[in-house]
Amino acid sequence: MCLAIPALITSVEGTTARAEIGGVERTISLALTPEARVGDYVLIHTGFAIGVVDEEEAQETLRLLEELAKFYPDEVEVSQFPNLPISQSPNLPVSQSTNEVH
Amino acid sequence: MRYIDEFRDPRLARKLVANIQARSTRPVRFMEFCGGHTHAIFRHGLRQMLPPTVELRSGPGCPVCVTANTDLDRAIALAKLPGVILATFGDMLKVPGSHGSLQTARAEGADVRVVYSALDALQIARDHPERAVIFLGVGFETTAPTVAAAILEAEAEGLDNFYVLSLHKLTPPATRAILDAGEVRLSGIIGPGHVTTVIGSRAWEFLPQDYSVPCAVAGFEPLDILRAVAALVEMAEDGRPAVVNAYSRSVRPEGNRVALEIMQRVFEVSEADWRGLGRVPASGLALRPKYVRFDAALAFPVDPGPTREHKGCRCGDVLRGTVEPPECPLFRRVCTPARPVGPCMVSAEGACAAWYRYGGADV
Repeated sequence: MCLAIPALITSVEGTTARAEIGGVERTISLALTPEARVGDYVLIHTGFAIGVVDEEEAQETLRLLEELAKFYPDEVEVSQFPNLPISQSPNLPVSQSTNEVH
Repeated sequence: MRYIDEFRDPRLARKLVANIQARSTRPVRFMEFCGGHTHAIFRHGLRQMLPPTVELRSGPGCPVCVTANTDLDRAIALAKLPGVILATFGDMLKVPGSHGSLQTARAEGADVRVVYSALDALQIARDHPERAVIFLGVGFETTAPTVAAAILEAEAEGLDNFYVLSLHKLTPPATRAILDAGEVRLSGIIGPGHVTTVIGSRAWEFLPQDYSVPCAVAGFEPLDILRAVAALVEMAEDGRPAVVNAYSRSVRPEGNRVALEIMQRVFEVSEADWRGLGRVPASGLALRPKYVRFDAALAFPVDPGPTREHKGCRCGDVLRGTVEPPECPLFRRVCTPARPVGPCMVSAEGACAAWYRYGGADV
């Protein structure tokens, strides 16, 4: 229910806008984000933009993660984010490969 | 930057996991409030990536799931009134009330329509001036402002056949209720990123202040969630609880002031019934007196009859975080997404649905 998807605003007319989400354009309401402009990314929730995405903050987050990464030159092995089967135990056994820091 | 793939980078995820493993020395349990987080955690296999010292537990952040049977029964009774069109989000249709669901009511002739937005319900009202259109408003602070905006639009247009049954709920009081009950020991809360986009990260300051529980507000991509877990581990290890905004590209300390103003203009805080938590004071949203003519509960008094809980269903316990879905005797045996007994198996945000879908054959 609280799902919100980043979308690029391509045109604005009054309190409505056209926004592109994964190649599809749709009409959204800017009633909750009157500050949104063409070229902004907004978070779309049930047809409304609920917030404008701050690109500088996003870049800063990625920069901080790169800084952190320098402290951990040896990586744990996680190939990607697969839909792996998960065991029943609340304290899940972690596979050896992901559990060891070399 | 499209704000999705950048935050799914496996290389940076490995570094975050290494950081979590290096920092985590004692067992901690963090609750992800939001059902959207639960599904993201399962979908991306994040549970398996974390060290055994870090446990994640689902919380009550699924609006469909926390809707009490009394409220659901009222909605079903409203849908059955002659001349009424009841519009709501798709997840609500299959949720079993005391005696059937909105879906079974529709099969019996009620005009129940699935909409993507409150604005769609408004359009139905415009298209059918001779019918009463009731929008079943469920959702937290993310959704409530959108429904408030639709009500303001109806008022501006003078639409007199549009109504809302407000079952909107507030997330901080529910979090308080869980901590006050003390049934499940929590070392930190993963704050809901889109609720907090609206209410602001300051709204969670009560967690460190009143409960000494750290909070990290998270987005919904793997790096967002792992970053929040890393922050919570650090705060738990250091014994310095605070609120960390790990979703700063969307969440501001003060939230979305326009959305909050619109929500507060239309709604006032009220008590609300929660599945699992019971009646929680100041945890719901009711229409203010100025907008009371839009209130479906007042415009159409109905008697839904006595409520009945589903025998054996442990949705309420799952929502409070006291049990995990496989501990429910009905899980997977009787209760499945095709034939759900409780709402936690119905909703795309329900914990039982996440365990069922991603839990693997051994669950």
